[in-house]
Amino acid sequence: MQISVQSAKQNLGIEAAPHLHAGLSTQRIMALVLLALLPAYAVVLYFYGFAVIWQLGLCLVTGAVCEVLTALLRGRRLKRALCDLSYVVTAALLALTLPSLMPWHLTVVAMAFAILIVKQCFGGLGMNIFNPAMAGFVFLIISAPGSFFTTYIAPAPAAISVATPSRTLDVILAGDSTDQRALVDEIKAINVSADALSGATFLESIKTARKAQTVSAIPAPEFTDSAYQAYLFLAGAYLLGGVVLIACKVILFQMPLAFLATVAAGGALWHHLAPDASISALEHLLFGGTMLAAFFIITDPVTNAGTSKGRVVFSIICALLLLLIRVKGSYSDSVAFAVLLSNAAAPLIDVLTRRRPFGIGYKEGGLR
Amino acid sequence: MASTQLAKILQGKIWRFFGGIKPQELKNTSDCAIEELPLPSLITLPLERHLGEGGEILVKAGDYVKAGQPLTIPGGRRNVPLHASTSGTVMSIGMQVLPHPSGFTGLCVTIKPDGLDAAVDPAPIPNWQEKTPDELLERIRFFGIEGLGGAQFQTAAKLSSAIEGDRTCQIFIVNGCECEPVATCDDRLMQEKAEDIMQGIEIVRHILKPQAVIVAIEDNKPAAIKAMQAAAGDRAVIRVIPTLYPSGAARNLIKIVTGIEIPYKAHTSDCGIVVDNVETVFALKQAVIDGIPLIKRVITVAGDSLKKQGNALVRLGTSVRFVLNHYHLNPERRQRIILGGPLMGFTVPTIDVPITKSATCVFAPTTEEVPLEDEAVNCIRCGRCARVCPSRLVPYQMYAYSRAGDHARAKKCGISDCTECGCCAFVCPSRIRLTSQFRKEKAIQNLLWENEKRNERARERMAARQERLAKEEAIRAEKKKAALARIQAQKQAGAAAGTAGAAYGGAGAGAGAKLSPEELQQRRQAAIEAARLRAQQKKAAAAGTAANSGGSEAGAGASTAKAAGAAAGLSPEQIQKRRQAALAAAKLRSQQKKAAAGAAAENANAAAGQESAADAGSVREQAAQVLATDRVQRQGETAQSAENLPYNLRRGAVPKKAEIVAEKWVEPAPLPPTGQKVENPPQHEIVVEEHKYHSIYAPAPEKAREYKLPPNLSKARKKD
Repeated sequence: MQISVQSAKQNLGIEAAPHLHAGLSTQRIMALVLLALLPAYAVVLYFYGFAVIWQLGLCLVTGAVCEVLTALLRGRRLKRALCDLSYVVTAALLALTLPSLMPWHLTVVAMAFAILIVKQCFGGLGMNIFNPAMAGFVFLIISAPGSFFTTYIAPAPAAISVATPSRTLDVILAGDSTDQRALVDEIKAINVSADALSGATFLESIKTARKAQTVSAIPAPEFTDSAYQAYLFLAGAYLLGGVVLIACKVILFQMPLAFLATVAAGGALWHHLAPDASISALEHLLFGGTMLAAFFIITDPVTNAGTSKGRVVFSIICALLLLLIRVKGSYSDSVAFAVLLSNAAAPLIDVLTRRRPFGIGYKEGGLR
Repeated sequence: MASTQLAKILQGKIWRFFGGIKPQELKNTSDCAIEELPLPSLITLPLERHLGEGGEILVKAGDYVKAGQPLTIPGGRRNVPLHASTSGTVMSIGMQVLPHPSGFTGLCVTIKPDGLDAAVDPAPIPNWQEKTPDELLERIRFFGIEGLGGAQFQTAAKLSSAIEGDRTCQIFIVNGCECEPVATCDDRLMQEKAEDIMQGIEIVRHILKPQAVIVAIEDNKPAAIKAMQAAAGDRAVIRVIPTLYPSGAARNLIKIVTGIEIPYKAHTSDCGIVVDNVETVFALKQAVIDGIPLIKRVITVAGDSLKKQGNALVRLGTSVRFVLNHYHLNPERRQRIILGGPLMGFTVPTIDVPITKSATCVFAPTTEEVPLEDEAVNCIRCGRCARVCPSRLVPYQMYAYSRAGDHARAKKCGISDCTECGCCAFVCPSRIRLTSQFRKEKAIQNLLWENEKRNERARERMAARQERLAKEEAIRAEKKKAALARIQAQKQAGAAAGTAGAAYGGAGAGAGAKLSPEELQQRRQAAIEAARLRAQQKKAAAAGTAANSGGSEAGAGASTAKAAGAAAGLSPEQIQKRRQAALAAAKLRSQQKKAAAGAAAENANAAAGQESAADAGSVREQAAQVLATDRVQRQGETAQSAENLPYNLRRGAVPKKAEIVAEKWVEPAPLPPTGQKVENPPQHEIVVEEHKYHSIYAPAPEKAREYKLPPNLSKARKKD
């Protein structure tokens, strides 16, 4: 056909196939993850006090500043850098995992490390090898281990009545250890049977027993007890968030399933074989960051293996590392280390779980 | 593969392929009956797949053609002839815009229809059951049947490759899946022409003799399933398969129906399975039983921007503009007109492109129906693309390698298995254009492969050259060695002669150095003498050839011979002999010349003699003989090819220069006068909303400007 004047003027829209598109976008995935974290935040707010909101605010501001800084340095558009919400997710996860009364400068350093070094130095969103939130947490636990002992709040019902916004803000900004101690003790005093624990957390308190191979001597915690209710509620909140994510097809249900099943089975086996060395399976599941990791940390798509099969393998490896470090290692909790180590193994998993090419059951000549 | 597999297949087991997506279907035209569009004002037929190497165009500009008349003789195995889709005059054969996303131009035949739509007489084969498969395949090829599902693979080649040699076809699958959103042409065709499709299946069954014939239809077409089941009887198995996007692709369909995955390197017919689209089967029936070549196809015209939607039977070569105009759409600026479905089709840069056999639908969506593309963001390796890829690839990995320019790795990831179905780009939350990147990467891979081939050929050529040079060098070295040895021997002989004595006056060359100046002088003199003699001989010879007189020539020859003889120191008898020989040779030469001259001028010269005349005559005879044998051979050729070609393709049958029929235009009847100055006047007053003024300093009043109708058009005036 001759191109007439009319058709030459009538420049039509050009677009590459496919022209249809599924609704989900990266921004929406991040927003759904944030939504799924809301119940967990509510539980933390109730049982640990208001400090977590200040931590979240600190992390968000630091994250935004870091993102803007990198966008300026790399000559990227600011709108695009801030639009993808990935730094918000990192901030939310880091604020959840850090002790609530952490002095502000340490939180800022951890978040800046997570965004600048772990994420942006490797090329920004989608290019990082390690989970930024976990890397920030590990950075802090290695470089400032002492602050973890003094700032961790043992949960208590209605802790928010004691840890009010103004009080916690004062403590976080001052960063003074006597203030922190006083607040922690006040919250601890809410509990009826608070004197059961020597350390801040259950995992912390059994660390010495673990080394002495006398874990079985410590009485098993009652999860209906007010001191341990928080863990039960928190696990429920994470589970609820995880179910939302699975229902919205943001994460694969196989991953948390494989992870939790491996932790439970492995923990039960170890507890059965050596009750002096390992806590029971239920304690493995409910204490520490196991539930958080199962639904929010190991399901981070960037830092795990690519195919579904690889992801399940990744989850199992992560669960095994978690048990190993928790029982044999010298840190109280091991989720962050397990996640980082399995992140490092992800490329290898990718290689080992390569797919077979299309064409099974094929024979030249066909059905004879 | 044992026969248990076949039993399972016949029992109705359905396998499922990996991945796949469920996009919105948009198949709201499945209740619209197929309507035939009127004749377009211009028909453009691309010659791209109809010429090939050694192909021939049978018409030229100004020729009159009829509908169904072949316009080309195809060359190569994969090409089919092109048929005129209506009667009219060939306007031009030249470069026109092709239906391609880039707006490439290609050689096309443009026909101006005369409006009469005169067709070539149909050539049905009433007794097709008695024909051999080869005859039917020939008919299928020469009536232009190609895959109408989108790939446009030549049907006869596909069918023949399934039965060539000792191969047998086990399963023939008729593809009625139509998994592409929007498209409903196959659906409608199955609803309306179920019996014809069944007849087409019968023909294919006659050709292939498969053990099972399966018609696969997706379960979102209940009406088509019902119609086909009613028509099928026990002639074919109707297999209802679940709706999932790329189930209509041949390999996926084979996997669903038979459970066999055919690798992308192999052809489907290697496994004894043939897949054909329903519309192809329908066209095949028309070609064999009705004797009509493939000049029309059904397309779906859909999209919310159209006033009405539907399925249209269009002539091949109709422009997209004509089709859209018929459905009351003149696309606005930046509107997307998609040729083919929304997942595998492409936006055309101009709507002045023809509909070809590969076009299944014309989709003119609004931006609400198909939103504009978002900006792509970074890949977060969410793995959705890997979960939906029906070829079992890991697209995000391939994309990363391809973007990084790592073509070797991309190839290793299996880029060649990518079918560009668009599933990965459909689900990508980062809106990355995976499919277009893979299309580009495949083009690069092709280029690299070609380069490698070329380099390999060059290397081979270079190696061959080196070998040849080495051989030549060896031969030369051998020759040199032999020559050196000879010289050495001569030297030795000369030296021996020199030492033997000066009785021969130093005849040996080797003794030259030992000659005295006088002797040297003498020799030089002798040499000069000899050279002069040679020059004289040459001159005499030239004069002899130039002169016609035999005597002078003979004399000259004699004198030169004498001189030469004297110079050479020959005996008188020898000289005599030579002279006679030279005379005879000269005579012969002159005779030959004369004879040649006579033959060329074609007037027998009396002086030339009888002999020469006879010579010339024999030459002419020979030429005639050669010509005759040539003609006989050619006749043999045409006879042979006439056996192969159907009647309307024989050279004799088609006049190369058709008469231009005068008075062919049908004058359009003049419209009755309406009495109004303006045709189609606006019925309502137009309201144009003013743009909102985006400034906080000067907010504009929000008012819509109202345009009154001109007084001569307003209804108020009419009432008065």
